[in-house]
Amino acid sequence: MGEGRRIRKILVANRGEIAVRVIRTCREMGIPTVAVYSDADRGALHVRFADEAVHIGPPPARESYLSVDKIVGAAKRTGADAVHPGYGFLSEKAELARALEAARITFVGPPPASMDAMGVKTTARCNMQAAGVATVPGSPDVIPDLAAAQALAGQLGYPVMIKAAAGGGGKGMKKCDRPEDLAGSWPSARREAASAFGDDRLYLEKFLDRPRHVEIQIFADEHGGCTWLGERECSVQRRHQKIVEESPSCILDEPMRRAMGEVAVKAARAVGYRGAGTVEFLVDARRNFYFLEMNTRLQVEHPVTELCTGLDLVRLQIEVAEGGRVPAQDEIVRRGHAVEARVYAEDPARNFLPSPGRISYLRVPSGPGIRDDGGVYAGWVVPQFYDPMISKLLAWAPTREQAIARLRRALGEYTVHGITANLRYLRAVFDHPAFRSGDYDTGFCQAYAEELLVEPDPRNETVALIAAAVAAHRRDHERAAFGERAGAGRSNWQLLGRARALGGELP
Amino acid sequence: MSTYVALLDGGQREETIDVEPEGPGLYRVRVRGQTYRVDALRQDQGTMSLLVGTESHSAELDEIGPAVKVWVRGDAYPVELLDERRLRMRRAAGGFTVEGKQILASPMAGKVVKVLAKVGDEVRAGQGLVVVEAMKMENELKSPKSGKLVELSAVEGQAVEGGAKLAVVE
Repeated sequence: MGEGRRIRKILVANRGEIAVRVIRTCREMGIPTVAVYSDADRGALHVRFADEAVHIGPPPARESYLSVDKIVGAAKRTGADAVHPGYGFLSEKAELARALEAARITFVGPPPASMDAMGVKTTARCNMQAAGVATVPGSPDVIPDLAAAQALAGQLGYPVMIKAAAGGGGKGMKKCDRPEDLAGSWPSARREAASAFGDDRLYLEKFLDRPRHVEIQIFADEHGGCTWLGERECSVQRRHQKIVEESPSCILDEPMRRAMGEVAVKAARAVGYRGAGTVEFLVDARRNFYFLEMNTRLQVEHPVTELCTGLDLVRLQIEVAEGGRVPAQDEIVRRGHAVEARVYAEDPARNFLPSPGRISYLRVPSGPGIRDDGGVYAGWVVPQFYDPMISKLLAWAPTREQAIARLRRALGEYTVHGITANLRYLRAVFDHPAFRSGDYDTGFCQAYAEELLVEPDPRNETVALIAAAVAAHRRDHERAAFGERAGAGRSNWQLLGRARALGGELP
Repeated sequence: MSTYVALLDGGQREETIDVEPEGPGLYRVRVRGQTYRVDALRQDQGTMSLLVGTESHSAELDEIGPAVKVWVRGDAYPVELLDERRLRMRRAAGGFTVEGKQILASPMAGKVVKVLAKVGDEVRAGQGLVVVEAMKMENELKSPKSGKLVELSAVEGQAVEGGAKLAVVE
């Protein structure tokens, strides 16, 4: 616990699900909160959750959530003495950490120098190689143009991955199986990187054979303490973006887990890290593991680790920012199995096309072992400007089999109307034999693309027809009854009241 | 008694359903040659508790225009329900076919970042025509049919609404 450095008010420089998540812990700790919002987010859930809210500009992130000046200005204006960046947006921008430092406001995150060392992926790779950590084979530095990329890809051998130097979250990332793909994907990767990070520099990595994405959560404090909290397996990805995460991973045994944990701690120490961080690894078919990158922030999937360890990582972040200590390695106890599914406003049948729009109805699951970290509500319009994730649904159980059964059950209880969500697709992932057996890699969604788009069960089609016909019959008869009375000289207010009482719409 | 025709699979299949009320919330429903006694209780918006015999179902009705997506046990069944009058009108107007012009519309609001073809081009069904960025992701929109690109409204750099016409293929 920090002596004399207690944080008194936190501004959450983010939106949606993660802003709500951070505010929840602040409330538990008795710390007042400040939300920020763009014009598109006046009605967003995080604004309602916070004690104060500051408008920071128009919808495009560049002019609001990505503006360091506006975030620092909002913190000064409300007297916030700390800023939590969430994930995405400015969370990995050392520029924000430095601006806050200059304004004597605590940044709930690592020191800016650690962010520099890890933030640009190519620099991070060099730093890790220097520290003796194995990295995925690839370009030593950013690549100036397509011709240089083609030359290097020839040396590495296809397939290769284009990646954004400032990258993360799958933005600007493209797998290229042949030289033609590289030429086709290069400009598009450049544009995506520029728009997502304000930095269009790209580099190449060799694409490993059946790679699995396994990451280690670490936590470091300013007293030299650094602890690893276990792994998360994140190989179920579409468009290079994780959609399902679980812990423990099916391919790790205890010695390999400890080895990866120790490498992760070494990586964090090498850059003088402090706070929550994630060291991502690729594990190849022969169970060799390579450093991929370090995310110098809280991850989307951090609740998976929370369920297994019983820790609140946001609370721990705040305590470390106040000068507190992280738990010692032998105090970390992991139990059971946790699985997370990301619920997205998107249509898997149309190549995961985003489906922004108004949520007309929402009911979220509950019951044993279920956690829903949501950022939306019924009536909310999912804006087109930001990431289409609407919630993270998690299950914990003593065994993997039971955790999967639980999450599958909960997905069946999840109801979202008005927009298309990927709920049925997620259930198909959990039903798939390859996922169930634990033998899957980052190619899972592509390899089984067709199997994962399941047709509805024909046995319940008759029930659906009965429901639709009864609802139509009811509506038609309510309208008829309404029409008869409408002629009897009633006022519009009475008509409206009548329509509402019937629960119907006005004709 | 009311008779409805349900269009399934975008109109490729049809089922006729007869609904006869039998008392408050009680119906006799005939579909696919079988008659069911149904107890239907409307609950919160969009949710209907349905007892078919002793089978208990929760049906969630997500109405989008004339179509309704009915959720039963975690599966969605898209249905377009017509009464007899509307069915006759629909038949008279003629169905939609793959012949003639087809419009490529933006499925969501976003920004056109790339136009991949020009007016007069011969295009294949499934060929990418326009790239629209929404929610930070680029989405390549494909030609609905093989034919000639006869109209192109998409302009690089321009914002588009959901449903906006981007191109026409004939």
